[in-house]
Amino acid sequence: MWSSSRHVDKRSPNVWLLDILKGSNVGAEVNFDENLLVARASSNGLCVACKGSRFLCGKARCPIIVKANYFLKSVPLMQSEDIAGASPPSVFVGRIGYPYVYAGPLVPPVQEDTSVYDLPEFWFGKSIDEIVGFRSMLIRGKHRVHVQKFEKAGKIIDKTRELALAVKPVDVELILKKKPRGFLLLDDEVQPFGPSAPIKDLIVGNTRWDHQIEKAYSDTDLRAAEAVLELYGKGVLVTKIQRAFSVGSFGLEKNRRFVPTRWSITAVDSIISKELMEKVKTFPEISEYRVYESVYLDNVFEVLMLPSAWSYEAIEAWYPGTVWNPSGRNVVMFSDWEDYEGRTTYAEIGGCYYAARLAVCEQLVKEQRQATVIVLREAHPSYIMPVGVWQVRENVRNAMRQKPYTFKTLDEALKWIANRFQIPIQRWIMRSELLKNALFQKRITDFIAKI
Amino acid sequence: MFKIKMADAKLLRDMVTAISILVDEATFKIDQKGLKLRAMDPSRVAMVDFEWPKTVFDEYTTTEPTKMCINISEMLKLLKRAGKDEVVELSLDEKTGKLQIKITGKYARNFTMPTLEASEEEVPTPKITFNVKAKATTQGLSQAIEDAQLVSDHVRIEADNEKLVLNAAGDLMGATITLQKGSDALLDLEAKEPSKATFSLSYLSEIIKEASATSDIATLEFSTDMPIKLDFQQAKEGKLTFYLAPRIETE
Repeated sequence: MWSSSRHVDKRSPNVWLLDILKGSNVGAEVNFDENLLVARASSNGLCVACKGSRFLCGKARCPIIVKANYFLKSVPLMQSEDIAGASPPSVFVGRIGYPYVYAGPLVPPVQEDTSVYDLPEFWFGKSIDEIVGFRSMLIRGKHRVHVQKFEKAGKIIDKTRELALAVKPVDVELILKKKPRGFLLLDDEVQPFGPSAPIKDLIVGNTRWDHQIEKAYSDTDLRAAEAVLELYGKGVLVTKIQRAFSVGSFGLEKNRRFVPTRWSITAVDSIISKELMEKVKTFPEISEYRVYESVYLDNVFEVLMLPSAWSYEAIEAWYPGTVWNPSGRNVVMFSDWEDYEGRTTYAEIGGCYYAARLAVCEQLVKEQRQATVIVLREAHPSYIMPVGVWQVRENVRNAMRQKPYTFKTLDEALKWIANRFQIPIQRWIMRSELLKNALFQKRITDFIAKI
Repeated sequence: MFKIKMADAKLLRDMVTAISILVDEATFKIDQKGLKLRAMDPSRVAMVDFEWPKTVFDEYTTTEPTKMCINISEMLKLLKRAGKDEVVELSLDEKTGKLQIKITGKYARNFTMPTLEASEEEVPTPKITFNVKAKATTQGLSQAIEDAQLVSDHVRIEADNEKLVLNAAGDLMGATITLQKGSDALLDLEAKEPSKATFSLSYLSEIIKEASATSDIATLEFSTDMPIKLDFQQAKEGKLTFYLAPRIETE
């Protein structure tokens, strides 16, 4: 199994990137300071040879050029230590150095309604260029804080928390210790954002809190998981819950803590879907085989539902040249599953497992039905940049909004999927515990009916 | 109304644990003769058939046949509070619909828990002609299953008149475990014809592990590509039998 680190995190010298920028016409118009540029990318040498022109990595567009394009757009943003703008609101809590982490607001130097910048619920359908476009405007202020001692961390952290709970964009003046330095951080769990710098001072304008969230915030006897569920039940967007969750807004007073953004996303997806799963288990099983589909950002989702007791599996296939399979020759597949009883260990494939689980449970609860659900995902070569777990959540949610194709037998459903995917269905079956189960595991009832 | 009393709380706890492998909500049938339960797991891959005649209990009174459905894991939480040599008493208050669990030993505890709507589903046992019958120690079986689990998620069980063989094949590793007739682990073996069938190890291991607490000797019966029947011999009278459907790989 391919389970080594999926995060290419080597800080390689930025010489080759400068070469690319000088070699292409991208950087021509902008006078950028070379010291502002730090690149994080694969150091396997292909990029040096390719310089963004030959597509040696197999991707449809050179991700470095795409990133550099946006990066350079934000170069003007990096000329000043004083950023004034409307925060969507948005905050980011890092995970490096846990329990001492860097937390702070994300602020774009823009004075208009920026609320959509941090609400992935409204991003579905937008192009990758558009999303990276507004995300790269978000400048991240950083302030070091101990996750449990945030109460005494001072004004900057107090203001950050205040901002995170705001219902609308808030005017923020972010005074940085030095000019923001950038790399565009790209990650499969976290939405991308722009350059960053340590905070000197933070001035936050008048904020009005989301009153539902405020109620949970002031209730220091309410457990964090219960708070999350209560808010979700009242229709508060998952993103808003997650944002408040990350700055220690929920839970028993003594247990409150900052939670790194990427962990908080999965925590919230996991808490909510766990609750929904328990509901699903009380509903009658669906009576046919169903296939739901959605394609977005070159991610093809086929969601198969089987008329059987609740169990869940997610399988992803990455083409050579895609984000997590940059230099491979073959398609790489990851999978994880759980049976009726659920799982107690963290799914190896990461946050997208829980995001998709949330999306499918929402549909089953809405319909008051139970099923075995298998989420199949093909990431195609033009998916050059990871944009965050939201892509999975919203893509699967979109699939659930469509009318499913229904079939009488599993064979017919699998034939349908085989036609939609490029990877042979046999490879999916061999990879899938639940499909193998459905195909090979007999039931006691098979032997009672015969009599 | 019924009231039952058992001098050995552990026996009840072990039995309920064994049942809990397959079901969350269990519907017990209680009548003049005793206590019964037959249920399938949610995926309908396995079945448990359990019976305790009234003679198992130290005290057994019931006025009329009743069905009682309870949440097994909740009940287990309460039963786990009972130590060795403590006495447990179950009674149903029909007015409130609550089950009372009284544990007495060094001190007395009186728990109440709600009963749920009883399932009306009647589950017949599969009627299968078994070609192999093997009697083994539960300890030997658990060991053999643990061996197989090291390499795979499922195991092929084969038998003729000489031996019982467990064959596990994983992606990379394999295991063959042989139990000879008349060995310490395999007490008896009869095969009308050589047979083999494949089963999920997660079910098998859990069933054998938990049922072993109630029994030292198990009788296995199976036929080619048919469900396996595992009967765990009970010290006092009573019956604890599991059925598990096979895996049949067809290409």
